[in-house]
Amino acid sequence: MARLNIGADDLVDNPTPRVPVSLCLDTSSSMSGPPIQELVRGVNLFYDAIDEDDDAHDSAEINIVEFNSSTGLVHDFASIERLRRISALTASGTTAMGAGVNLALDTLENRKATYSGSGVLYYQPWLVLMTDGAPTDNIDSAVRRVVDLVEAKKLTVFPIGIGGGADMKTLARFSPNRPPLRLDGLKFKEFFEWLSRSVARVSRSTPGDTVKLDLEGLAGWAEL
Amino acid sequence: MLNALEYQLIDPVEFLQPNRRLFIDTNVFMDTDARRAGGLKRLFERGQSAIIANGNPVVVPTKVVGELTKQSRIHPSGETMERAEAIKKAGATLTFLESASKAGLVRKDLGDDTNPYADDLFLKLFERFAGTYEMCLLTHDITIKLRIRLLAHRLAKRLLVGVLTKDGDLEVESDESLFERGFRKYKRHATCIAEGSGSFKDESEVAVLKPLLDDFGKAFGLKEPATNLGPRAVKSPSSPEPRRSAVASTPTNSFSAQARLKPSDTPVAFSALPKQGDHVTWASADRSGSLVLGALLGEGGEGTVYDADLSTVVKIFDKDHLTRHRKEKIELLVDRNLRAKGLCIPSAVVRNGNGEFVGYVMPKASGREFQRTVFNKRKFEREFPSWKKADLVDICISFLEKVQYLHSMNVILGDINPKNLMVDEKKNVFIIDADSWQLEGYPCPVGTPMFASPAMLGKTYSDVLRTMEDELFAVATMLFMIVMTGQFPYIRTGTDGDMVQLIKEGNFAFQYENRNNKDQPDGDWKYMWSHIHKPVKDLFWHTFHREGKHYKKRPTAAEWLEAFKAYKSYLGNKRMNFDPMSNDVYPIRNKAFKQDTPIRDCPTCGRQNAIAGIWIDDTQEHSLPRQCNKCRDQQPGRAAAAPTITVPCRDCSRPFPKSQLKYGRCPSCAQKHDERQARANTLDPSRLCVRCQKPFITYGNVEWHQRNGRSVPTTHRAGSGGRYPAGCVPTLPRTPRTGPTASTTKPSAQTQVGFWARLRKWFTGN
Ligand SMILES: Nc1ncnc2c1ncn2[C@@H]1O[C@H](COP(=O)(O)OP(=O)(O)OP(=O)(O)O)[C@@H](O)[C@H]1O
Ligand SMILES: [Mg+2]
Ligand SMILES: [Zn+2]
Ligand SMILES: [Zn+2]
Ligand SMILES: [Zn+2]
Ligand SMILES: [Zn+2]
Repeated sequence: MARLNIGADDLVDNPTPRVPVSLCLDTSSSMSGPPIQELVRGVNLFYDAIDEDDDAHDSAEINIVEFNSSTGLVHDFASIERLRRISALTASGTTAMGAGVNLALDTLENRKATYSGSGVLYYQPWLVLMTDGAPTDNIDSAVRRVVDLVEAKKLTVFPIGIGGGADMKTLARFSPNRPPLRLDGLKFKEFFEWLSRSVARVSRSTPGDTVKLDLEGLAGWAEL
Repeated sequence: MLNALEYQLIDPVEFLQPNRRLFIDTNVFMDTDARRAGGLKRLFERGQSAIIANGNPVVVPTKVVGELTKQSRIHPSGETMERAEAIKKAGATLTFLESASKAGLVRKDLGDDTNPYADDLFLKLFERFAGTYEMCLLTHDITIKLRIRLLAHRLAKRLLVGVLTKDGDLEVESDESLFERGFRKYKRHATCIAEGSGSFKDESEVAVLKPLLDDFGKAFGLKEPATNLGPRAVKSPSSPEPRRSAVASTPTNSFSAQARLKPSDTPVAFSALPKQGDHVTWASADRSGSLVLGALLGEGGEGTVYDADLSTVVKIFDKDHLTRHRKEKIELLVDRNLRAKGLCIPSAVVRNGNGEFVGYVMPKASGREFQRTVFNKRKFEREFPSWKKADLVDICISFLEKVQYLHSMNVILGDINPKNLMVDEKKNVFIIDADSWQLEGYPCPVGTPMFASPAMLGKTYSDVLRTMEDELFAVATMLFMIVMTGQFPYIRTGTDGDMVQLIKEGNFAFQYENRNNKDQPDGDWKYMWSHIHKPVKDLFWHTFHREGKHYKKRPTAAEWLEAFKAYKSYLGNKRMNFDPMSNDVYPIRNKAFKQDTPIRDCPTCGRQNAIAGIWIDDTQEHSLPRQCNKCRDQQPGRAAAAPTITVPCRDCSRPFPKSQLKYGRCPSCAQKHDERQARANTLDPSRLCVRCQKPFITYGNVEWHQRNGRSVPTTHRAGSGGRYPAGCVPTLPRTPRTGPTASTTKPSAQTQVGFWARLRKWFTGN
């Protein structure tokens, strides 16, 4: 997928504080077929919902990191205005979750540095980690980084297990504050709708505010 | 004549010294006032030797000579006696100037003829040479006097304006006296206009004097003189008389100014919350009735707002926010029966079917929240595509009038934020969320970090009463964000997104005067800032910068109002507001430096007025960039600027663009490093040399010893030959105090002197 170039004007002309959201997605071979199709549909729906929300529209910046046998950037951070919907993701290989999370954290740090360098206000970033299995690489350093950031209130993380095969114990290590969530069937749509509502809610707050996430809203699609 | 307190006398010879210049305006030569007769003659008598010795003749610009020539050609018949005499004087002056210039006493070849106004000429001369000479202009014209006095203030230079006494002394008026006379002049012209006999001259004088006096008063902290000036005849059109008086009058039914904080809030019981379509009852101060909740208009963090009828809405609190404080506060407001345009003050209490308090009725606001209009370019251009800067200034004025009214009622808005202010396309401003206001000791329980004053940070909103200073911080922030279309005053580069920190540190990064702040944000914000009217800019800077005059004592709504009204008249004054881009909401270049700066459309993209000349001192002319900033930035070379390469910070190893690193450290680590460094070089006041009892070792040195497992020294370091530095003089152990208490003093007391005692001892030496 072509990398998008983000115009500098876009970044600084908009005084709205940004919420950087990194979607860190498992695209290992086990995801092939309906799961990956539903995932793509869910992500695009998420984009549409952000686009339509008057507040989230100007504040959300989203990127996608995928991990399988290795890890890579599907697209870099961009405002919704500049984001093309994704056409497909290819599922193959193993589950380098540690590498994936590390890359996602790096991109978030980078994005924050860009905000900081140009004088753009931002909210502490969000990391959405979705997997249907268990890691095949070492996740210790990634776990440590995530836990440190969450405890320092510098990251909000949403570890999401897809289907019955997801290793919830591993996901739990990434989530010191609340248990990870397991997706009910393939209800990506409901999850991403909830996520966009949550992003919108944050963008209506001011950086520094503690925003209550509407966890009740999760009940419909996830089992806790 | 003026009394002694109002002027000072200066020896003219002072201004004939080499680094000074003395100028004379036309009206001085044509002055026929007997009280000053002979003054000019005395001036030249007293000054001639200095003029010749210093080669520094008195300057009578070509322009003035031209005016005198014109005057002298007027046929005196048919003129008043005074005028006729003045005309005669003009003729005589020309003869005098001719011979005086031959004798080297006067220079009349200065100043070009192209500018139609001699006033502008003097102002330009003074501005241009303020850095080179101290200058004095002799003139009777109040307007030019005010302008030059203001210029001198702005540039912090010695530029005087005065008249001559008959002894040839320079008589220089005080700021107050000048200001008062300026007002009298203004009033004279304004009255002519008000009475319908205004000439073009009246109009133009008023147009110049009004903003000038505003600026002047502001700059020198002077209030409009009230005495014997009578009512002012002209009001700015933006504030028609009735509304103004309604707002400015001292309210008789205001709330208490020093109510104490009420005991904590508690929930009130209710059985059901009405929704759209439900019947509710209402009760105002004098009437009651029922209504049906109409369409849902908005939801907030505390309640839901429904249509009631064409001009009113109802807010129903949600279950967590139905509290005693809110109920009592609303009852107080309803009882007062207050009405003011744009203020959505509760007008009736609303009860559900069981007669329980659930909300209130208020006037309906039109338009949308600031958050969805002026605070974001995309939304702004969608909602109000035709607005100019002046419209934003009107919004500020309208907001301030309402705030001023509430403050006069001892109401503190508290949660000032862009979601509690609404504006429509006719520039009507509305303040909503009255239930959060602070009054009679009921706190404002909510807040918005961006608008929280440094003192409020970290406090629980519902546990404290906000002070007026807290409120004025939020007012200032809101004004800044309106003028700057949503940008936060403390935005700067190198932040980690921590708003609280940004507010706390008070590093206001926008370029001000000759301070250069490297943290100024990227993008067009600096241009927007550069075009703001100077007096408003001054107030912003002094309010937000920790070194500013108003950082601790913030401007009141009235002070802001004055500044913004001056901003408004400035924008409407073609002569003062010479750069057309100052009218734009989103300027794309810095404000043109001076009136004569050439301004062009961009030949590449056609953007209007997008190019302004840059004055080059060497060539003494303007250089015109070929393209506007936007086109320049789009040049391939720049747009394709290398992707930002990030490097790990040497302390925290997080990746950062190289340009942000300072000696390999990211901004926050660099700051910590600097602080450590500064501390390392500071003497540790708790460690005293055992010989001389003075601090002798730095924190850094102590740490070094500790780090290396060495024992920390206890005395100044002895140099070669074991000699201690000169100041290290052993102090004798103090002789124990005699007297009845001496015997009871524990022996160890001497060595247990506290830190502060030792510090005091070090300072006082005993
Ligand atoms: N007087 C009014 N006229 C028209 N619309 C209104 C009025 N008051 C409120 N609204 C609408 O209702 C929304 C919520 O109102 P309000 O800000 O009073 O609620 P709130 O619960 O106090 O919210 P918050 O505490 O988040 O500020 C507003 O954003 C606005 O859209
Ligand atoms: Mg509100
Ligand atoms: Zn509220
Ligand atoms: Zn151009
Ligand atoms: Zn660092
Ligand atoms: Zn010593």
